[in-house]
Amino acid sequence: MSNPFLSAVGLRKSFGQVEVLHGVDLDLVPGTVTALLGENGAGKSTLVRILAGDHQPDGGSISLDGNAERYTVAGARRRGIRLITQEISDAPTLTVAENVVLGDWPTVGPWVNRRSIQSDARDALAALDTTLDLDAIQGTLRLGERQIVEVARAIRGHSKLIIFDEPTAALSDAEAQILYRVIGTLTAKGVAVLYITHRLDEVFAIAHRVVVLRDGVVSLRTPIGDTTPSAVVEAMVGHAVVRTRGQSRSRSEGGAVIEMRDASGDGFHAVSLAAHRGEIIGIYGKVASGVAEVAECLFGIRPVENGEIVLDGVSIRLKGPADAIARGIGYLPPDRARDSAFLILSVAQNLAAPSWRRLAHALTVMTDTIDARAYRRWHESLGVRSTGNPRQALGTLSGGNQQKVLLGRWLEAGSRVLVLGEPTRGVDVGAREEIYALLRQLADAGTTIIVASSDYEDIVGVADNALVMVRGEIVARIPHSSITVSSLTEAAGGAIHV
Amino acid sequence: MSNSTSTVAPPPRRRPRIPETAALLVFLVLEIIFFSVASKYFLSWDNFVNILTALSVTGILAAGATILLIGGQFDLSVGSGVAWVGLMLALLNPILGTPTAVIIAVASGLVIGVLNGFLVTVVGVNALITTLGTMAIFRGLTISIGQGKSIGITGFDWAVIRPFLNIPLPVLMFVAVAALVTLLLRNTVYGRSIYAIGANPSAARLVGLASKRNIFIAFLISGLCMALAGLTNASLLGSTSGVTGLGLELAAVTAVILGGTSLTGGIGGIGGTVLGLLIVGVLGNGMTLMNVNSSWQQVATGGLLILAVSFDRVRQRLQGAR
Repeated sequence: MSNPFLSAVGLRKSFGQVEVLHGVDLDLVPGTVTALLGENGAGKSTLVRILAGDHQPDGGSISLDGNAERYTVAGARRRGIRLITQEISDAPTLTVAENVVLGDWPTVGPWVNRRSIQSDARDALAALDTTLDLDAIQGTLRLGERQIVEVARAIRGHSKLIIFDEPTAALSDAEAQILYRVIGTLTAKGVAVLYITHRLDEVFAIAHRVVVLRDGVVSLRTPIGDTTPSAVVEAMVGHAVVRTRGQSRSRSEGGAVIEMRDASGDGFHAVSLAAHRGEIIGIYGKVASGVAEVAECLFGIRPVENGEIVLDGVSIRLKGPADAIARGIGYLPPDRARDSAFLILSVAQNLAAPSWRRLAHALTVMTDTIDARAYRRWHESLGVRSTGNPRQALGTLSGGNQQKVLLGRWLEAGSRVLVLGEPTRGVDVGAREEIYALLRQLADAGTTIIVASSDYEDIVGVADNALVMVRGEIVARIPHSSITVSSLTEAAGGAIHV
Repeated sequence: MSNSTSTVAPPPRRRPRIPETAALLVFLVLEIIFFSVASKYFLSWDNFVNILTALSVTGILAAGATILLIGGQFDLSVGSGVAWVGLMLALLNPILGTPTAVIIAVASGLVIGVLNGFLVTVVGVNALITTLGTMAIFRGLTISIGQGKSIGITGFDWAVIRPFLNIPLPVLMFVAVAALVTLLLRNTVYGRSIYAIGANPSAARLVGLASKRNIFIAFLISGLCMALAGLTNASLLGSTSGVTGLGLELAAVTAVILGGTSLTGGIGGIGGTVLGLLIVGVLGNGMTLMNVNSSWQQVATGGLLILAVSFDRVRQRLQGAR
C-alpha cells in the first residue's frame, strides 16, 4: 500500500463545553475509496469540516504527503483537497459550461475568456468520462447530472483528495451508478476519495476501506473485505441492530379498505392496487418511476385522470388534501422540510394541526393546553426523544424524531389509511428500525398503510405485499415471502453492482 | 445537523432564551427615560394620552397588517384605503345621513379587502404587487372623485369624546381592535392556521388547512381595519383630502416589523406590534417636544427600523450559535 496522502492523528474538537471529536486518526491513501459512516451526531460533519479547512482542530495534527500542515478552506483547495457537499450549490439559470467554471473563470486580463469556458468545461467533464451538453441550462438537468457538474467543478485543477458528503442522498439508482463510475475514474488516476454515506450497499459496492465514527471516536476501521454489513451497523449504533422483518400478517377478511382500479394520471398508467385493513403495501420504484405520483393521488394532491380510487368499496373522487383527511387518509410527503414540517412551530402544534377544528371548543377556540394534551397522548407511544416540552420547536428535534411527531399527527387525526412517502429519508439507522416497528404496530392495530418509497429497505422492512413500478407502470407484485433487496432491485431493472 | 448532541439521548439542553420582545421593552423604557429627562412636558398622563391618540389610526391598521404578515402577506393599500373610506363618508354624509354613510364607507373599505384577497388568492398575483396596484388605484380614485380638494365633515366628531380617564374613543377603539386580534391569533383555529400558513404554506395545505380562504379572510380583515381607521381618521381631523393617510401603510408595516413579526411569516404577534407602535410614537412625540424638525424625525424613524431589525438578526444569530 502506498503512503497516505492525508494522515490525521488524534484530532480533537470541542464546541463550547462539548467535545465532539475525542482523538480521531484517519489515513487517506491515493487511489482508494474510504467510506466514512456514523449516525447523525457521531462527529462526521465536524471531521469533514476539519479536513476541508473549515474548522481548525483543538488537538492532533494533519499531515499532507508527510508534512504537518494547518490550512483554511482556500488553503485546502490549493493543496488539492475538494469537498462536495450533499446540497447542490449551482447556478440553475446559467449553462453547464458556466457552472463547471463557476467561481474560477478563465480570464484574459480583466476579462472572462468565453472560449476557454467551453474548452475548460469540456476537459473537466471528459476527465470524468462524461459528456453533457455544455450549452444546456443547468436547471434543466436531472439531479444526477447536476451532481456530476458539481464534481467536475470540484476536480478542475489538480485534486488529490475528494470528499463526498452523502452525494447520493437525492439521486436515483441510475444516477448513482454514474457517480460510482466517476469515482472509479478518479481513483484510477490516483486520487484519494473519502466517501460519507448512510447507505451500506454503497459502502460494500465502492469502498476499499471502512471507517465508522461513533460518539467522536473511531469504532471500526477495516478493509472492506474483512467486515460485514451487520458489523458496520453494530459499530455505528453501538449495539447489534436486528434487521427485523415484519411477520407475514394474516389478511383480515372482507374487502379492501382502499383500492386503485386501473388508475392513470400524470406520471403513472393503469395502476391497480388494493390494501386491506391492517395490511402494509409497499410500492417500490426509483425516482421518477411514478411511485410518488401514485401516493399523491391517494391523498388528493393530484387528480386521477382515468380509473378510480375506491374507499371501503365506494368509488370516490378526492377534491384535495382536506377532503382526503376528512375521509380518514393521512399522508407523509417525501420532502419533510418542504411539505410536511412546521419547523418553527412547536411540536404540539405540529402534531395537532390537522385536528385543530375537531379539538377546538365550538370548532374555533383553541389553546396551547389543547395542543399540549394532544401531544402528550402520543409522545410516549411514538417514542419521541425530546425535552418533553410541548412548546419545543419541531426544528430542534433530529430527523427521526421529527418524522415520529409528523406520523403522530395522523394518529391524532384518527386516520385509518396512511400513505407514507419515503418515510425514512434523512433518518438514522437506529431510528429507522423504530419507525418500522411503529408502522407494524399501527398495522397490527388495524391501520392500513401504503409505503411509497425509492428505498428498498423500507419495503423489505415493513411491506406485507410489494409492488414495483418502472416508468409509471407496475412491473411486479411480490408477496411477503419473496420480498428481498435483490428481488426488488431486479424487478426495478438492475441491482447495484459496480 | 447538530454534532454536539448524541442522538441516543439528547440532553434537555436549555439555552437561555432571550424573549423576542424583551429588547423592545428595554428600548422603549430607555426612550421614555431619555425624553423624560430631555423635556419637562414629556412625562404626564395627558402627553401619554396624546401619544396614544396619535397612534390609534396607525395602530388599527397595524393590527390587520400583523395578521397578514404572520401569514406571509403584505397590504400596502391601507393608506389609500383610509383616504378612500374618508372620502366616501365625506361625500355621502350630507346626502344620506351619518348611519347610512358610515355603512357604505365601511363597505367601501371591505371592497378593497375583497379585491386584494381575490387577486392574491384566486388570480395568484403576488401580494406586494397587488396591493401596490390597489394603493395607486384608490389613491387616484380618491383624488379624482374628490377633485383634490379638502372636504369638511360635519356632525361626525365622536372621536373627541373622552368617556373616562380623559382617554378619547379612538384609543379605546384601537385597544379593542388589538385585543380582538390578539384573541383571534392566539386562541382560534383561524389564528393558528395563519401561523401555520406563514411557517410553511405547502405543509399547511397538506394538513388540510384552507390556505387560500384563510389568506382571503386576512385581506378582508385588513379591509375592515382600513374602514375603521378611515372613520377614526375622518372624525379626528374633521375633513378629508387627497393626501389623507399618505404613508400610513409604511408606518403600519414599520411598527409590525419593529415588533418582531417575521417578514417570512409564521412568527410574531400583536404584543410586539403594540411595542413597535409605542417606540415609534414615543420617538416622534419626544422629538416634537424637543423641537426636532419633522424631516429629521423621519430620518430617526427609518434609522430606528433598520437598527431594530439588525439587532434582531444579531439576536437570532446568538441564539442559533452552538
